[in-house]
Amino acid sequence: MSITLILFWFLSVLALFSAAMVVASKNPVYSVLWLILVFFAISGHYLLLNAQFLAIVNIIVYAGAIMVLFLFVIMLMNLNKSNEPKRNKWLNLAGVLAGGCLLLVLVAALKNAETKATLAETGTGNIGLIENLGKALFTDYVVPFEISSVLFLSAMVGAVVLGKKESSPDTAGQSGKSSEK
Amino acid sequence: MISLTGLNLILPQLIIALAAIIVMLSIAVKRCHRFTNLFTLLSFAAAAISVLYIPRGSFGVSSLFVVDGFGKFFTVLIACAGFVITLMSYHYLNAREKRNEEYYILLLLSSLGALTMVISNHFVSFFLSLEVLSVSLYALIGYLKEEPAGIESGIKYLVLAAVSSSFLLFGIALIYMQTGHLDLSGIAAGLSSSGEFSGVFIAGLAMVIVGIGFKMALVPFHLWTPDIYAGASAPVSAFVATVSKGAVFAFLLRLFYSTGGLENKNVWTVFTIIAVASMLFGNWLALRQQNIKRLLAYSSIGHLGYLMVAFLAITDRGMQAATFYLVVYFTGMLAAFGTVIYMSNKKGEALYIDDYRGLFWKKPWLAAIFTTVMLSLAGIPLTAGFLGKLYLLTAGTEVGIWLLVIVLVVSSGIGLFYYLRVVAVMFAGKNENEASSEPVIGKIFPHGLVLTLLFLLLLWFGVYPSSLLEIIQQIASVIR
Amino acid sequence: MQNALQLVWLIPFFPLIGFLINGLFRKQLSKSLIALTGCGTILVSFILSVWVFLQVKNGNSDVAEYFNFISAGSFKVPFAFQVDALSSLFLLIITGIGFIIHVYSTSYMKDETGEHYGRYFSYLNLFVFSMLLLVMGANYVIMYLGWEGVALCSYLLIGYWFKNTEYSKAANKAFIMNRVGDFAFLLALFWIVSKTGSVSFDVVFSKASALGTSDVTIITLLLFIGATAKSAQIPLYTWLPDAMAGPTPVSALIHAATMVNAGIYMVTRSKALYSLAPLSQDVIAITGLATAILAATIAMKQNDIKKVLAYSTVSQLGYIFLALGVGAYTAGIFHVMTHAFFKALLFLAAGSVIHAMGGEQDIRRMGGMKGKLKITYITFLVGCLAISGIPPFSGFFSKDAILLSAYEHNKILYVVALFGALLTAYYMFRLLFLTFNGSFRGTEEQQHHLHESPAAMTIPLIILAVLSFAGGFAGIPDIFLKGGDAIAEFLSPVLPPEGGKTVSHSTELILMLLTTVLVLAVIVLAWFRFRKYKPEEEKGLGKFLKNKWYVDELYEKIIINPLDRFGAFLSNVFDRSVVDGLVNIVGRLVNYGSRQVRLLQSGQVTSYVLLMVLSMLLIMAVQFFLRK
Repeated sequence: MSITLILFWFLSVLALFSAAMVVASKNPVYSVLWLILVFFAISGHYLLLNAQFLAIVNIIVYAGAIMVLFLFVIMLMNLNKSNEPKRNKWLNLAGVLAGGCLLLVLVAALKNAETKATLAETGTGNIGLIENLGKALFTDYVVPFEISSVLFLSAMVGAVVLGKKESSPDTAGQSGKSSEK
Repeated sequence: MISLTGLNLILPQLIIALAAIIVMLSIAVKRCHRFTNLFTLLSFAAAAISVLYIPRGSFGVSSLFVVDGFGKFFTVLIACAGFVITLMSYHYLNAREKRNEEYYILLLLSSLGALTMVISNHFVSFFLSLEVLSVSLYALIGYLKEEPAGIESGIKYLVLAAVSSSFLLFGIALIYMQTGHLDLSGIAAGLSSSGEFSGVFIAGLAMVIVGIGFKMALVPFHLWTPDIYAGASAPVSAFVATVSKGAVFAFLLRLFYSTGGLENKNVWTVFTIIAVASMLFGNWLALRQQNIKRLLAYSSIGHLGYLMVAFLAITDRGMQAATFYLVVYFTGMLAAFGTVIYMSNKKGEALYIDDYRGLFWKKPWLAAIFTTVMLSLAGIPLTAGFLGKLYLLTAGTEVGIWLLVIVLVVSSGIGLFYYLRVVAVMFAGKNENEASSEPVIGKIFPHGLVLTLLFLLLLWFGVYPSSLLEIIQQIASVIR
Repeated sequence: MQNALQLVWLIPFFPLIGFLINGLFRKQLSKSLIALTGCGTILVSFILSVWVFLQVKNGNSDVAEYFNFISAGSFKVPFAFQVDALSSLFLLIITGIGFIIHVYSTSYMKDETGEHYGRYFSYLNLFVFSMLLLVMGANYVIMYLGWEGVALCSYLLIGYWFKNTEYSKAANKAFIMNRVGDFAFLLALFWIVSKTGSVSFDVVFSKASALGTSDVTIITLLLFIGATAKSAQIPLYTWLPDAMAGPTPVSALIHAATMVNAGIYMVTRSKALYSLAPLSQDVIAITGLATAILAATIAMKQNDIKKVLAYSTVSQLGYIFLALGVGAYTAGIFHVMTHAFFKALLFLAAGSVIHAMGGEQDIRRMGGMKGKLKITYITFLVGCLAISGIPPFSGFFSKDAILLSAYEHNKILYVVALFGALLTAYYMFRLLFLTFNGSFRGTEEQQHHLHESPAAMTIPLIILAVLSFAGGFAGIPDIFLKGGDAIAEFLSPVLPPEGGKTVSHSTELILMLLTTVLVLAVIVLAWFRFRKYKPEEEKGLGKFLKNKWYVDELYEKIIINPLDRFGAFLSNVFDRSVVDGLVNIVGRLVNYGSRQVRLLQSGQVTSYVLLMVLSMLLIMAVQFFLRK
């Protein structure tokens, strides 16, 4: 077993376990911390695929910036256990069953899949390098690239609109306070 | 590499994107609702007109988009719907919100998502367009702050749309894993070479169907529709009912007609089940609704089910019928929500059927319009809805999908009851507490005019449909 | 002159204009202007119809095509009108009777406010327009347009006084029953499209012979189900008596000139299909006859003047379907025409009576009105004689033609049909005697109020009475006058005469005599039974009959009483419980189910997502299981 394969299995198990823990944790702060671990594991996968740029960006943007923001919001909102709405026990059971079935079906489908033709090129591929990525993004994929910027624009405008509670412009500066409520 | 000559192919999309940014900048300088509204109107009109400057024929734009007659037709349709919705929003927003300008940015961006979706030829562009469309919609649905129901339904839509998007993405990934392609022609090639669908591909396709079915609110992915329609403001509900659903349906047509995915009997069966369930449940559940927006929500589920009948015919006729019906559906839904907007006042919207009691005696013209709309949705002759349905039925009978045809006829029979109930209420005796239901937004020139226009369109298509059909026939063969 | 027939679009155009003017400007226009528009447009159509009729009589007929209504590849639905003997005759009936009813309405509805008055006339014009569309269409789609339009208008007109819940219930019932028929019609329409690839009459009929028997039988049976709803046959007839809730002239319009004739017209038009499906023809004949008898027995026990007339319409339509079923299309159409005359007359006369009584419709509270309402009485009497088939009134000729065809076809059909004809005479004269003879049984107030109706109402009555009397001369059988059967000759291009007659002239004469004598006997019986009818004195009257007319008493005991009871039973049990019950049960089931399914709509996001996942699993399962 080569070192890449060992690393691959380790990272996969780590990513899956952490993802499960994100959902399972009762405390939202723990969830966020587990999520950071997931991102690190994914970045490790990127490195295995010789996509250093993506790996770095993933850590800086997701594990760094976004997760810190998440943490702040959760701490500011001051979530308690009592705030959590009670769930229907049967609904939970049904959810678990349905999810389990879905997993089973997917595993069954993937088991027989012929993946030889599309096997990942570990360590040798160069798609993830900055140069190639940049070329693809700014030639073939320039229109979708612009559209994704539009996507962020709409998300931004949407967030501002929803976040501003006061409707008169002169109290707009206090929007931060009101979101704490 | 995209060249400058390619830019004129996506002129409508560019205009709308530019307009959104200009509106945003203008807000930074000075807030003026009237200017923003007018500017948005103009840019929608410009987008619709700019289609004329796109050369005829089918052109690929960087392998992710394809600009053809089909795409152009839907571009015009969506731009027109955006125009009408903008026009209807002005007085509605003026009456209840102080800060209205951002609404138009979101509306423009959301329409942009729809506009790019109808020319998408690739899963990446489709997914991005879908997200642009939905992300703006989250905020639009929760735009009115005074109404807690709006925020609640906005969040609800956010959660559900995120779940469906993740399914869609997973499905796309599985399809990519199997075929090695993300563009539709590549997938088609991958499919034809392999002959039989593999397990991975089926799983992927099922997930894509879930994602698309959610956006189109087909049964059993329809549950969000009534809540969101009822919670969102009426113009936004109109947008969800028309632009959002129509754009996804256009992509669905392109996806399955150009890849030939429907040739597979199992996929066809799945869609048949979905179509039958949508037609029956949509109309059935609408029967007991007292809330007019919920009623329209269920009715739109039924109408999308009707559309699926033509979609499943897999013929040029089916495609024409579907396109024709979609136009009729757009017109009818816009006019229906337009009436609801017209009837609402500062205190709230005219949500309940009882609010329309005796409308005929107070505003006969409005009642006449609403009656025509209801009759068209129900499919009574001499309205566009009848011909649309007839056309769907012809498409269905031609290839002998009798189950779907019979369900269509039966469910439109059921549908007749609730549409006529609304009509009957309007013609019933006068309302006792007249003061409460006196609309404030009424008596407004442009709104009334656009309603009248939609009303005339419904009649025009109902009596002389050839005018529209000829255009549709030209675009129909392009896609295959 | 062939091209001049292209102008037939003007015929439905004018009522449409009238509808638009009266509908849009009903608030601005004065009542007299509304009446003028309403009647004037129909009059113009009538004049045009006469012109078209004369053209057709001279041997011109045409299909006037205007534009393509729908066109998709090879499949085309042209917007085209058919002008031939059949449609031109119906045009005359619709616009002629329609015009008379419009004129009558101007006076009958004069107490309404201006706005309602305008609404009423606009609906009336729309009704005529839809019916014209139905009759003139040169393909099944145009016919269907009119078909639906007629249903919609009847819904609007029956529910005209919508503030009364009973009335709107009746309107709903009419509409729902018609929907059942429409559904069958639509299915037939699509069956035709899928088999022949066209909807135009000429193409469909020319390809009909190439179709398999089972296809033709299914198509014709489905079409017939559609016809039973419009023309009020078993099992979809109960809406028509309930539809009496609307204003009386509307009933006249529905019964005489428009709606109920739609089914007959459709079956006649599709003759080419029916002639290939003997099974469907038998079904039609038997249904028609059963309806005729059933409705007649029910009519015997009704006390509402309009209800009696309504059941008599159902019964007469049954006769017409009997004629169509045995292949005697000409006789059927002939009876449609005469029936239009005398039924319009009877309804309008009944309207005049109701008008005089201040809205009272119960014949037990009438009586002795012939002195005060002379014109109404005489015209009503003419109507009764015509419907009973007394020579030389119009009903005699048309009914005799039907009975004769039935005789040729099957002796049993003839005997039953003859029996039905006797019942008709009985209940019609019961109605006449109870209303106009004997002494007045209403309140003092009503007695003072009694008056003859104004000229705008009596003149239409007189015109219709003349027509009811003389209308039959259009179809005098050969035994009286060689070549006297003008109507059959006129219709022969569309409905060629059906073979040679197998019945000898002497048999025909004997049958006619038999019918006439029996009918007269029944009328005499009715006279003695009802001329001095007083509800509280029924026992005394019975005794009187027992002593003096022992035979009659026996007759009554053995035949009429059981029939009375049977009629009551049918009207109470079958009509109200079974048919209405079925309609109600379906409605309740749908409602119940809708409530249950709505529980799923809990508003919880979790459950929505759950359903989404489950559905996806189901889709995958379907895909996997069906893969092999």
